[in-house]
Amino acid sequence: MNAPSEWDDLVSAALVGTGRRPLPGAAASEVELLERAAVRTVRARAGQTLRRGGPLAVAPAETQPVVSRAAGDRLARILGGERPRLLTEWLETAAARGRRVPPHLLPELLGQGAADRSIRPHLGVLAGDRGRWLAGLNPAWGFLLQEITAPRAAGPDAVREISRETWELGTPGDRRAHLGALRAVDPAAARLLLETTWGTETPDDRAAFLGVLADRLSPADEPFLETALDDRRREVRHQAADLLTRLPGSRLGRRMAERATRYLAVEDGRIQVTPPTACDAAMERDGIRARPPRGTGERGWWLQQAVARIPLEVWTRLLGRPPGELVRLRAADWGREVTAGWVRAAVLQGDPEWARELFAWDPLADLLAVLPRAEREGVTVDFVRGRGLDGQLIMVLGGASAPWGPDLAQAVLEKILEVAGTQPWNLGELTRLAGERIDPTLYGLAEDLSPEPPIQEVAALLRFRDDMVKELQ
Amino acid sequence: MLALAPDAPSRKAAQGVSSPGKWSGAGVTADALWGECAGSGATPYRACVDLSGPAYRCGCPSRKFPCKHVLGLLLLWSADGVPAVAEPAAWVTEWLDRRRARGAAPVPGPAPAHAATPVHGPASARAAVPVPGAAQAAEPGTGPDPRRAAQRERRVAAGLAELESRLADQVRQGLAGARHDHWDDLAKRLIDAQAPAVAGAVSRLGAVLAADDWPGRLLGEYALLYLLAVAYRRLPGAERSGADPEAGLLHTVRERAGFPVAREEVLAAPAVRDVWDVLGGRDEEHDRLTARRVWLLGRTTGRVALLLSYAHAGQALDAPPVTGTALDADLAFYPGSAPLRALVAVQHGAAPAAPPSGVTPERALAEVAAALAKDPWLDSWPVVLDPVTPMPPATSAGTPARNGRWLLAGPSGGLPLHPSAGTPWRLVATSGGHPLTVAAEWTPRGLRPLTTWDAEGRVIVL
Repeated sequence: MNAPSEWDDLVSAALVGTGRRPLPGAAASEVELLERAAVRTVRARAGQTLRRGGPLAVAPAETQPVVSRAAGDRLARILGGERPRLLTEWLETAAARGRRVPPHLLPELLGQGAADRSIRPHLGVLAGDRGRWLAGLNPAWGFLLQEITAPRAAGPDAVREISRETWELGTPGDRRAHLGALRAVDPAAARLLLETTWGTETPDDRAAFLGVLADRLSPADEPFLETALDDRRREVRHQAADLLTRLPGSRLGRRMAERATRYLAVEDGRIQVTPPTACDAAMERDGIRARPPRGTGERGWWLQQAVARIPLEVWTRLLGRPPGELVRLRAADWGREVTAGWVRAAVLQGDPEWARELFAWDPLADLLAVLPRAEREGVTVDFVRGRGLDGQLIMVLGGASAPWGPDLAQAVLEKILEVAGTQPWNLGELTRLAGERIDPTLYGLAEDLSPEPPIQEVAALLRFRDDMVKELQ
Repeated sequence: MLALAPDAPSRKAAQGVSSPGKWSGAGVTADALWGECAGSGATPYRACVDLSGPAYRCGCPSRKFPCKHVLGLLLLWSADGVPAVAEPAAWVTEWLDRRRARGAAPVPGPAPAHAATPVHGPASARAAVPVPGAAQAAEPGTGPDPRRAAQRERRVAAGLAELESRLADQVRQGLAGARHDHWDDLAKRLIDAQAPAVAGAVSRLGAVLAADDWPGRLLGEYALLYLLAVAYRRLPGAERSGADPEAGLLHTVRERAGFPVAREEVLAAPAVRDVWDVLGGRDEEHDRLTARRVWLLGRTTGRVALLLSYAHAGQALDAPPVTGTALDADLAFYPGSAPLRALVAVQHGAAPAAPPSGVTPERALAEVAAALAKDPWLDSWPVVLDPVTPMPPATSAGTPARNGRWLLAGPSGGLPLHPSAGTPWRLVATSGGHPLTVAAEWTPRGLRPLTTWDAEGRVIVL
């Protein structure tokens, strides 16, 4: 702007009023002022000059391939509010293929990542070099620099080779991914690598890395995990206790088995329960939390946690009956806590026999996950066929891992059709789940089943997903 | 595709009718796409799209435009779900022929006489609204009745004279006492004086008070309003002296005062044929009235143009030409000293889309300066910059300036963005520090980025 001082004079004169501060040498001050201001304003607008900006570093060249045009356009539609619940599936599929997203979608995607932690691991891969460059410009997107940067390395040799450098210099996400990849090909080497830096890792990293050891857990890990029970961070101690619970013959398992004899016994064909009366330091060390959540009694809380960590095979030996019978026996007192403990134990220890028996009593999705894949779907199909549409059905289906095969798809679609005739207003969540979880290549099954709107809605969603997955290939 | 949808519920509804099972007799040729969709009635709805437009037609009673059937059909087509056919169905050909015979432009709403056409023009919405030129379609005062025209001239003259003296009064008493109700009252009087455009400008003055630098900005706005009032007062003299070179300026002053220009008058002037790149658009709502602006740039003539349409809140606007496409069309410009607003007189068809050619920031400033020299009230002008890079605010003393404005800069410097643009993250992400072509709207307070084109030629709306 030229001659700013004259403009400033005009503004301050106008502000107090020419009646009080006349412009020097003008008969009708206000007219003169307005005319000069008009000239100044137009002159400033027309006479604008170029400004210098701060430097902007050039983003590095990309190394990953970008997704196809169609895939990018579909992502833009999802981000724009069309079927937003499919965002995670899109991201997961694209990240598994090692692709990156077109740069112009990064700001929206990183904005979503800032609000939703669950999608961040995918974003690490999908953002590409441009995404990390962008995250460097906006602190709100800094989380990206903690995530995995590249899809998993291909062969076992490649995994062993990159080991040192990534382990010492990588982002936390990269380090976790690398540890996982190494664990998959050489479990002992992964544990040894972790032990070398264990003392210097941050508590968050320690908890995250310990989780990686869940894969290929073996008795060789036991001494290391036993020392982790004395960690300063509670998450780490619990993580270690959870892993030790899964290890047959661990010292923790033996200590818990010994406690079992104090709590449960069979008398006169009924289970008699004596919950612990105190939670001592040794119990706390083995992962039992002393302080119950609000509204829960202490003794029941301790009992439930102890049962969860007691090796399940102990019960058959101790109480002299197979799991099926024990589940049906039910305890007179404290029955709820014992069953809850068993459910947790079946999930934690991954025991399909117990899970099968417990599911019949207490249909929980977590228990289904313990069953072998082939059996899981069959059990779910039977459950769907034998149950009306209620909260439990939605919970179980919500936890049933995708993609659902033809049998489960058929059962759920028939359930939708059945309910459509009686209480169509209740179908919303069930049709959404069906559309999101059924294997998308089965869209024809739904299209041909019935012209009923809810079924066609599922079909349309499946077709959308089928197109989406194809575009990402 | 869904960018065409008038609102979010339409997008959602469109997905419901985008499965092949819903459609029968669907087909596509180079120019047209059609199909029959079973609706709630006994006969299926016939939906048809003229792909050169785009213009749409559907037999359904929906008042949304385009309706869900048309959108669903477009979605299905985009998913390769419509078979290509050599010849359109008879009813399709009939519609296309009728449309082309009319030379109907899909862009501006057709006059009420064309109410049977698929374009739902909000013509009825155009009467007596405080926006420049918005009143032409149904304005009785501009017709052949000379008595009423003369009465309007007198009223406008009186209204602007009052504006002139009120502005002078306020400057004499001091702007420090400026309050909202001053302008509300003044704006009402200007509407009564049949000067709706000035009334709109006055009613928007209140927004200036919220800014940190409000005294300077308010004085600038006052000065330009004063300039307009004075120019209008001196018009009769200029007209009598037959100042020919000023003819455009006379039109500009009258239009900015709020005199409508009849559509027929615009269309009567010689039209400019070119292939027009659609640079981008913006919808803005004022007083329950939505104004849709779409800016064009002629490939051969290098002229810029503005297509402006209005709708009351809740009404659907005309379907705009899609950003990044190109139209081969005759444009008729509204008269004025720096003509920008135009109507599509004849549309010859679509043209292959390509990024528009741009100019350096220096050159763009020169274009804006030339336009301002002809129309000092100008507050919006489209520019296409190439090559430019988004740049953060200049650093002062080694640390990045906080709250500074980003620039669009070439090698010798750049232009600041409008404060509302904030950090243009989408533009920054697309650029990655590399130069781009960017279409933007110049305003006195900075550039509003509209559109850019990425390395693969993808159109990115900013």
